[in-house]
Amino acid sequence: MINMRTRNLVASIFLLFLCGGYAYLTVNLPTRAIENSTQPSFFPWVIVIFLTGLTFLLLIQIAVSGKQPNIERKNQVPVKRLIYGLLLSLAYMFALPKLGFVAANIPLFGGLMYLYGERRPIWIGLGSIIISVIVYLVFRKIFQIILPVGILGDVF
Amino acid sequence: MSPDVLDGLAQASQFNTIIAVAVGCFIGLVVGMIPGLTISTGIIIVLPLTFVLSPEISIALLLGLYVSGMTGGSFSAILLNIPGTPSASATAMDGNPMARNGEAGRAMGIAIVASFFGGFFSFLCLFFVAPLLAEVALQFQSPDLFSLVFFGLTIICSFAARSLIKGFLSAALGLAIVTIGQDPMMGTQRFTFGEVNLIGGIHFLTALIGLFAIPSLVDNFTDLINTSPGHGTLTKIKSVIPSFSDLKLMRLPISIGAPVGSFLGILPGAGGPIAAFISYDYSKRLSVDPESFGKGSPQGIAAPESANNAVTGGALIPMMTLGIPGDPVTAILIGALLIHGLAPGPLLFIENGEFAYGVIFSFFWANIFNIIIALICLRFLVKVLTIPKALLMPSIAILCVIGSYALRNNFFDVYVMFAFGMLGLAMRWLEIPIIPLLLAMVLGRQLEEHLRISLIASKNDVSIFFTSPFSLFFLCLATGSIVWSLFAEYKRRRNSTYPTSP
Repeated sequence: MINMRTRNLVASIFLLFLCGGYAYLTVNLPTRAIENSTQPSFFPWVIVIFLTGLTFLLLIQIAVSGKQPNIERKNQVPVKRLIYGLLLSLAYMFALPKLGFVAANIPLFGGLMYLYGERRPIWIGLGSIIISVIVYLVFRKIFQIILPVGILGDVF
Repeated sequence: MSPDVLDGLAQASQFNTIIAVAVGCFIGLVVGMIPGLTISTGIIIVLPLTFVLSPEISIALLLGLYVSGMTGGSFSAILLNIPGTPSASATAMDGNPMARNGEAGRAMGIAIVASFFGGFFSFLCLFFVAPLLAEVALQFQSPDLFSLVFFGLTIICSFAARSLIKGFLSAALGLAIVTIGQDPMMGTQRFTFGEVNLIGGIHFLTALIGLFAIPSLVDNFTDLINTSPGHGTLTKIKSVIPSFSDLKLMRLPISIGAPVGSFLGILPGAGGPIAAFISYDYSKRLSVDPESFGKGSPQGIAAPESANNAVTGGALIPMMTLGIPGDPVTAILIGALLIHGLAPGPLLFIENGEFAYGVIFSFFWANIFNIIIALICLRFLVKVLTIPKALLMPSIAILCVIGSYALRNNFFDVYVMFAFGMLGLAMRWLEIPIIPLLLAMVLGRQLEEHLRISLIASKNDVSIFFTSPFSLFFLCLATGSIVWSLFAEYKRRRNSTYPTSP
């Protein structure tokens, strides 16, 4: 369990790095030789100043606030499921351009059904195939939204 | 009467538009009542459709969903004591005790009728106030528009966050994201890293899908293991139509809730939950029987329900007249309009008056269909609460992918959506609000453009923002909102009363 003070500290450190990186990129933005005009880097500089100022204010708030109790967790977080969900999503995004919408959605749908508590293999199999195909057909054929067909291009 | 009004009424009353409103209302009621799905998630589900439908039909569909989503949230609050949307939290306080007394139908009938009156009042506000405000807004110059957008952002930060610093940090991150892509004045590429897909910038709808849908999917993981098996048993619904004595009791709370909701809807960032709690509080104070509140009082249901539905019409006023969204839903409405080449703002009433009034009348129809569909289909609609999440959540995940891909037919947007989902989760862990980031992404480009045009016009003299009366007025309001927010934060640390928007 991490208290809010520590979380704010993490946020401040991250934001300071972000400000530094953003400022570095802003310095390297091209300039335009137009008189009486603002440069493309003008607004990013305003943001750098604003963001840095706010980050320091957050740091001051952390320093002033003193020690805080740990945040009580109201709900148990299913870390394992979240990690599996994340891995599944990453695999899906990697596979989507190659496999196409329907072929990539079937394993994603089935995997998510399992992670959301469905344990009956037939339900998972049928649910993932039927819903993926229906959603594809509704959006592609009825609403004419172009979706990647991938390896199942000839089938649909 | 302006011919645009009649044309708008005719446009909103076309068969296709009416059907779109009705479908939107139905989806809204379903989405609103499912705990864990917000109106924003519902809008994300239908978002891909808006890319292919005509603007009138798209907006009609979204408005139906917006209005009914507010009402739908009360159903699960009443039946299960789990608010379907944050705006229905106050409804649960009296709605659920009434349902436990075997009067679930009565409670839901009161909620539906109060929602109608709240929504109808806000329609009248929208109809009469929006054109007047648009006329005033036509006089605004760049410095005024910069100050107005700046005020919009400050007030969003004030309402959306428990900590003003975190609200502003979120907005600053949103502004930084907006700078990715072409510079609006000179077309120079900024922060694109040679990536072609970044030249057009990051579309806020892609960001919105990730920021709202992915945390919602994760929440449902958490809910799944934390909900006890007996939790959420549906009560039997008997009579739904409120009796005459109930209607008499509802007069006072509705007359409080409707104006409070409409007014708070106009303020960007305030939103339904705040309006609902304030109305509940005032109705209790002014009631002849305040002791009944919290024990199943009809007034305790009517006040928050009329207020949260009145917020919808109120939120459309700044969206349509000034192009300033008050919440994620109106931000999506702006996105849907922009996709079709229609820019919300004062010129909408001049250049596309028929369309502008069409939107207003579609909102009227949305309120009509909301009450009709809710009263007729209530017994059927509550069955939705029994749909297993194992089917619902993966379907939403797929629809998120379609929504982000279909925007520009680009896989890159799917990756961006996922990245924003991770950002949303990180921001939630750090208790940094999401809404200011999102709305800064909507308003950021305007803010930069008006700032730079003003400075070019004044030869870099910043006094231009203080010499224009409109600009000065908005800057004073912005300062006022910051001071008020700091004061409220100080007070909140002592005694927490009203919740903030999610």
